[in-house]
Amino acid sequence: MTNALELRKLHQFFNQGTVNERHVLKGIDLKLAPGEFVAVIGGNGAGKSTLLNSIAGSLPVDQGQVKIEDEDVTYETVAKRARLIGRVFQDPQMGTAPLLTVEENLSLALLRGQKRNCWSFGVKKKQRQFLQEQLALLNLGLEDRLSAEIGLLSGGQRQAITLLMATLQNPALLLLDEHTAALDPQTSQIVMTLTAQLVAEKQLTTLMITHNMADALKFGNRLIMLDQGQIAIDVAGDEKAQLTVPDLLALFKHKSGQDLTDDRVLLS
Amino acid sequence: MDLLISSLSLGLLWSIMAIGVYLTFRILDIADMTAEGSFPLGAAITARQIVAGVDPWVATLSGFLAGCLAGLISGFMHTKLKIPALLTGILTLTGLYSVNLLIMGQSNISLLGRVKTVISLLPNMSTSSAAILIGVVVLALVIGLLVVFFNTEVGLAARAVGNNEEMSAANGINADNMKIIIYMISNGLIALAGSLMAQINGYADSSMGIGTIVIALAAIIIAEVLVANLSFGMRLVTIVGGAIIYRLIIALVLQWGVDPNNLRLFYALMLALFLSVPLLQKRIGQRRRRQKNIAEMEADQDD
Ligand SMILES: Nc1ncnc2c1ncn2[C@@H]1O[C@H](COP(=O)(O)OP(=O)(O)OP(=O)(O)O)[C@@H](O)[C@H]1O
Ligand SMILES: [Mg+2]
Repeated sequence: MTNALELRKLHQFFNQGTVNERHVLKGIDLKLAPGEFVAVIGGNGAGKSTLLNSIAGSLPVDQGQVKIEDEDVTYETVAKRARLIGRVFQDPQMGTAPLLTVEENLSLALLRGQKRNCWSFGVKKKQRQFLQEQLALLNLGLEDRLSAEIGLLSGGQRQAITLLMATLQNPALLLLDEHTAALDPQTSQIVMTLTAQLVAEKQLTTLMITHNMADALKFGNRLIMLDQGQIAIDVAGDEKAQLTVPDLLALFKHKSGQDLTDDRVLLS
Repeated sequence: MDLLISSLSLGLLWSIMAIGVYLTFRILDIADMTAEGSFPLGAAITARQIVAGVDPWVATLSGFLAGCLAGLISGFMHTKLKIPALLTGILTLTGLYSVNLLIMGQSNISLLGRVKTVISLLPNMSTSSAAILIGVVVLALVIGLLVVFFNTEVGLAARAVGNNEEMSAANGINADNMKIIIYMISNGLIALAGSLMAQINGYADSSMGIGTIVIALAAIIIAEVLVANLSFGMRLVTIVGGAIIYRLIIALVLQWGVDPNNLRLFYALMLALFLSVPLLQKRIGQRRRRQKNIAEMEADQDD
């Protein structure tokens, strides 16, 4: 296997052929080596979510190609691609089924990418201990809440569980779209630390969108900045490690010819 | 006493159909009108086979399977063709009206006389006690199987789809297929109720489906208003109670002298009332809290 993810000439349009046509992704070429942890930044409307949705399959791709672990998945549905992808959304409500219990949600995730049948129970007693151990790793005291309805948990707790669900099956690719943005600063840091820990432990290839520049610099071994549907900055390794927030702003100005004046790009 | 027994036997049958409706209504959040076509479909298939001398249990099972097929059609139109759920139900129901006439060859088949039905298989019992016995056995089987099914890998996935479709897809669940499965089980059960109803009443009629959805929803809402927040299995059991209570209310109204021709108007009015009960309960609670708060604030000012 050469690339964990390969995007070739990926374009994405909205309202194509109408006066409202928007060309949101303009020929993205991107290759991720296995184990790369990439922070994705960019202003509002730069196309970051569109990029992730195109990879996950929730936005059909008309132009270009998406390959995961060298497999062409361009025309596969979200459910089909799920065998290769773990995903955490920005909205903590979105990653779990609120009326199902913690254990039921985790059991659903355990079967991601496998065929589900009618002759074994969805929740398996012999997996209970394993699930409890996994929950204990989160350090949120969730290990004895297996039979609690997930809808009753806090946003941060739900997001942590979603992260666990996304990584339980070691996906070929982990997609995180501002997954800490809806959490308070403290919980947000807990979930970020957890993310880094899980990604490192399982050596997951990861694409993480964030509006927090400091997080983008602190976490991951590669950084990509999207601007108007194109990759404006792509730094990795030592070069990334030495980057500071002012460097990043200067680099952005140099590449795109304008200041990065976006309230949501947090500088702290 | 007669009133109680007849309400019990009819209520038990209605609850099979209400459980069917519950699956689409609460798991998928769809009021599936297909019910009004699959109920007489079950009756038609079974009546036709029984008249032809087929074993009554086989005929009943065929009724159930025919209902599953009706559910498959509605489910397919809703998920794969993306036709809105309400319209899908109306389309299938309209089509089924002709299909049911085609199956029966006439608008009415009588099952009285020498034909063998599940009721006449229990010769030493009165029709209503036989109906109650069959209703209880079938319901126990249905509820047991449903509880087991919705805890299997597929069943859990189906519940997740109804709860959060986005999350289900992200976990590799094919939402369309799960919805179709629920549509099929739902309409299978509704047709099963129709099939049993025909055998107990002694006839199948092409218009016997009118009001199905309203009756079923009323039973569900009664159950939900009386006992809130239950596990899936317990909820199904309370729906049986809801259906029996509903039937009892209607029997009382009929006895009270309401013209049977006005019955459907009464069904509709009652369901509208039941549907607004949760809101009324909330409003009353709100008003009470407000008055208490106002009183407390005033008392506070006096100090
Ligand atoms: N469904 C849609 N229909 C039309 N336009 C859309 C749609 N989704 C996104 N867009 C447009 O595409 C552009 C890119 O949106 P996208 O959500 O990818 O931005 P983003 O980089 O994730 O921004 P943010 O930082 O605000 O999340 C925006 O201008 C947006 O208005
Ligand atoms: Mg976005």
